[in-house]
Amino acid sequence: MGDILSTSVSGLLAFQRALDVTSNNVANATTPGYSVERVNFAENQAQATASGYIGNGVNVQSVTRSYDELLAGQVRSSQSSYSSFNTFATQSAQIDNMLSDSSTGLTASLQSFVNALQTVANSPSSTAQRQVLLSQAQSLTQQMHNYDSQLSTYSSDVETQIGNNVSQINTLAAGIANLNGQIANGLASTGQTPNDLMDQRDSLIDQLSQYVTVNTATQSDGSMNVYMGTGQALVTGNSSQTLTAFQDPYNASQHDIGIVSGGNTADVTSEISGGSLGGLLAVRSQVIEPTQNALGQFSVGLAAIVNQAQQAGQDLTGAAGQPMFSVGGVQVLPASTNQGTGAVAVTRTSLNALTPDDYALSFSGGSWQLLDHTTGQTVAMTGAGTGANPFQAAGLSIVVSGAPTNGDSFLVRPTATATAGLSVLLTSPTQIAAASSIQTTAAAANTGTGAVSGSAVTDPSTFIPGNYTISFTNPTQYQVTNAGGTVVGSGTYTSGTPVAFAGAQVTLTGTPATGDTFSVGAASPSNTGDNSNAFAMIDALSASTLNGGTTSLTGVANNLVSQIGVVTQQAQANASAQQSVNQSAVDTRSNLSGVNLDEEAAKMVQYQQAYQACAQMIQTSGVMFNALITAITNG
Amino acid sequence: MRISTVTFQHDALGQMDSLQADLAQTQNQLATGKKLQSAADDPAGMAQLNQLNAQLSASQQYVTNGNSASANLQLEEQAMSDATNVLQSARDLAVQANDASLTAAQRQDIATQLSQQLQDLVAIGNRTDSNGNFLFAGTSSATQPFAQTANTVTYSGAASVSQIQISPNQRISSGDTGASVFMNIPAGNGTFTTAAAASNTGTGSIGPGTVTNAAAWVPDTYSVSFTSPTQYQVTNGSGTVVSSGSFSDGDTISFNGVQVAISGSPAAGDQFTVAQAGKASAFSTVAGLITTLSSPNLSSAQLSTAIGGALQQMDGAISNLNNVAASVGARLNSITSSQSTAQAVQTNLQTSVSHLSDVDYAAAITQLNTEELSLQAAQESYASIARLSLFNFLQ
Repeated sequence: MGDILSTSVSGLLAFQRALDVTSNNVANATTPGYSVERVNFAENQAQATASGYIGNGVNVQSVTRSYDELLAGQVRSSQSSYSSFNTFATQSAQIDNMLSDSSTGLTASLQSFVNALQTVANSPSSTAQRQVLLSQAQSLTQQMHNYDSQLSTYSSDVETQIGNNVSQINTLAAGIANLNGQIANGLASTGQTPNDLMDQRDSLIDQLSQYVTVNTATQSDGSMNVYMGTGQALVTGNSSQTLTAFQDPYNASQHDIGIVSGGNTADVTSEISGGSLGGLLAVRSQVIEPTQNALGQFSVGLAAIVNQAQQAGQDLTGAAGQPMFSVGGVQVLPASTNQGTGAVAVTRTSLNALTPDDYALSFSGGSWQLLDHTTGQTVAMTGAGTGANPFQAAGLSIVVSGAPTNGDSFLVRPTATATAGLSVLLTSPTQIAAASSIQTTAAAANTGTGAVSGSAVTDPSTFIPGNYTISFTNPTQYQVTNAGGTVVGSGTYTSGTPVAFAGAQVTLTGTPATGDTFSVGAASPSNTGDNSNAFAMIDALSASTLNGGTTSLTGVANNLVSQIGVVTQQAQANASAQQSVNQSAVDTRSNLSGVNLDEEAAKMVQYQQAYQACAQMIQTSGVMFNALITAITNG
Repeated sequence: MRISTVTFQHDALGQMDSLQADLAQTQNQLATGKKLQSAADDPAGMAQLNQLNAQLSASQQYVTNGNSASANLQLEEQAMSDATNVLQSARDLAVQANDASLTAAQRQDIATQLSQQLQDLVAIGNRTDSNGNFLFAGTSSATQPFAQTANTVTYSGAASVSQIQISPNQRISSGDTGASVFMNIPAGNGTFTTAAAASNTGTGSIGPGTVTNAAAWVPDTYSVSFTSPTQYQVTNGSGTVVSSGSFSDGDTISFNGVQVAISGSPAAGDQFTVAQAGKASAFSTVAGLITTLSSPNLSSAQLSTAIGGALQQMDGAISNLNNVAASVGARLNSITSSQSTAQAVQTNLQTSVSHLSDVDYAAAITQLNTEELSLQAAQESYASIARLSLFNFLQ
């Protein structure tokens, strides 16, 4: 009887525990991070008798949570990827939207500028049309400034978010380290796992995975070490590292990620990957900076092309054309760690060779090296770096001075700040140089039908002002002589095809006769109806003069729009794919660890019935005891 | 399979969220009429769209350019038609003057009328367009091209005209210089000019002559001199005799691929020159005729030679005007044809732009309905399934 009683009581106690756990499961059905808990029953040791081993009831061995380290890892890695792509896509989409508008975009604005030039060409002496062109130049400049300041805003938003991310990571890492300590203590003192603390810790690690990619390793004392990115330890046992967002050595407005230890800050930026922090770093280097640089290249190209044409021409007052645009210079940023007194001055020399990349100029082993930041390639430099013989590379002229120390370096950004400095220099519509600075007249004695249809200086840097004579040795052969009688050009004549020589070109039509001559000289100030130079400008604006002669100005603008479109589209597609992967990983984990209320209802019924049965057994043992007593009393 | 209650709720909610997002996007496309909202929707498509829009805008500009060029060319066409009329009436007067029976006073009357016509011609040469720019000054459009002092007219415009772009690869002259219209007219018959020496005593007069073999013509100044009334010889500029022979009234004299007719009776020692043609202007032709008709002491032979030469030069000037007018007409045709090409190109470009960027309403509305239906189904099924719980049945 004693056996029945004690066995039944062990059942009562066990099922009461089981119902406690079930009610806790039901209560936490919607608690985030809660893992469903299960009671593990075990038989009590049986009593050996002559007639065999008699069971001695049940006890609750442990309460464990349904949890799978592998599934948790899948949730975190997909969460990091999703969060990285989503952050990238969100930031990138803002820039994409800014550049995308096909009716007010860069290509459309440039075309409006060219159309205004065409209108000036239609009536070159009309100041009203010239005013329209100046206004178009102003609005193109304004648009570039808007883009630039918008990009600066996005850039400082990103920097702020990087700082916020870093402090979130620090808070979470400290929380994880604290829980590690409590869990290790709990496990050591009771031998049982503190399920609630472990759920909380998993929840914190999940949150951490939104900011940066994390890997975990469980230790024998129950604590969990957390590594971020490519393996940098963040939490070890009950201690955590502190991340800091510190100023970039070159650019004080940018932040790098470092780990502070013993008063020193070690740069771990390159080890950060994934998560929103990884996404922010990627969008900064892959979208914001390239966009700024490409817009800068557009500004430099616009200014260089238009200014060169302006300087080749003559304005409405008969004066030589002046540059229309000014543009920001090359940004040179010395590293804050430089020890020497070296200084670097960089100017742009060639539009053709100029790239939208950033470069690092560093001094080591007693010589200077130039590294392309975008491609990672070393760029060969010619020259000696002196004022008389500057280094020449990538369309830049670099003059170094002072006494640099080995290890000193400078960040050279050829186009980054060009847009910010873009402005219209011309103040009066008469200053637009629509007319050519040279003029060609047919000799009075010409007998052929050759007529002049236009003359223009195509390259002011090589053109030497003076008088030139184009003479026809026969109706299809011409030669050009300068004032000294030296032949500076010759060729086969085709009506309407320009005769080019010494940085200038003259277009003749008709059929000249043998011996006919045309004299080329400085344009008369009264040549106000000429539009040859306006056309030279229109042609130069559509010519492929950038990126090694492969891309036109429109091409640069269009490439930028599609390039940003492509990276945004990829990031959106990746974000959407990773969201599905993450959702499915969360579902899989939740299917193992989550609470199913129907299941809990069934378990409740099961435990309730078992409890009632145990109680019934106690009553039965009472009845049996009574029966025995009665028998003895009556006997 | 075991599904946690929370997962079931989350999944149902997630599906409804995503259906609502799709619905909102479709609704946005319908509201804006644009399927391409940003470059990320279709990067290649957006780049193409930008290119197409730029081409469209450029094409519209070319049409505007064409209209502006047309306006100028039509003014020029009108000016040339007026100039032709003036020259034609001057020519009629010249024919009228070429009559030996007229008195010096009658010729002077004709000269006075011609003076008026010379002024008319200069006025036509100095016409301006609606902006006050001179039509025939070339690129010096603000400078008055023709100045008349007594009977001398000088050209001070430019030698070239400005171009106007009427299609992506076609630029045409928006006018013609005064030099090419009025000044640089080949003198004589275009190859050579003829003249009688002022000291001639005979009645011989020389016709304008013709070219029989252009290849044999050697440009030079030739002198046809009569050693006797029936003997002539032709010497070139360096005094070499290139031809000689006997002459009777009305004979043609041929040498070096050209022939000239001399009529009347030249006296011994009379000379005629055959010189390489230079350039003469319409003004100098009329002015020369005025001078001729105002000279009271010319012999009828000299008058006849001078008027004959003037008539030929006027024909040359009229034919030059006709040539320029034909070229203007051809340019106007080019403009018309490039403008109609531009219209067709613009229609194509607009179709492509619309194809790339505009929403297909039928497809979008169908999609909207499908998405609406899906959302409704998800909501209804959630509402009915969410009520199911085993706890409801345990009493």
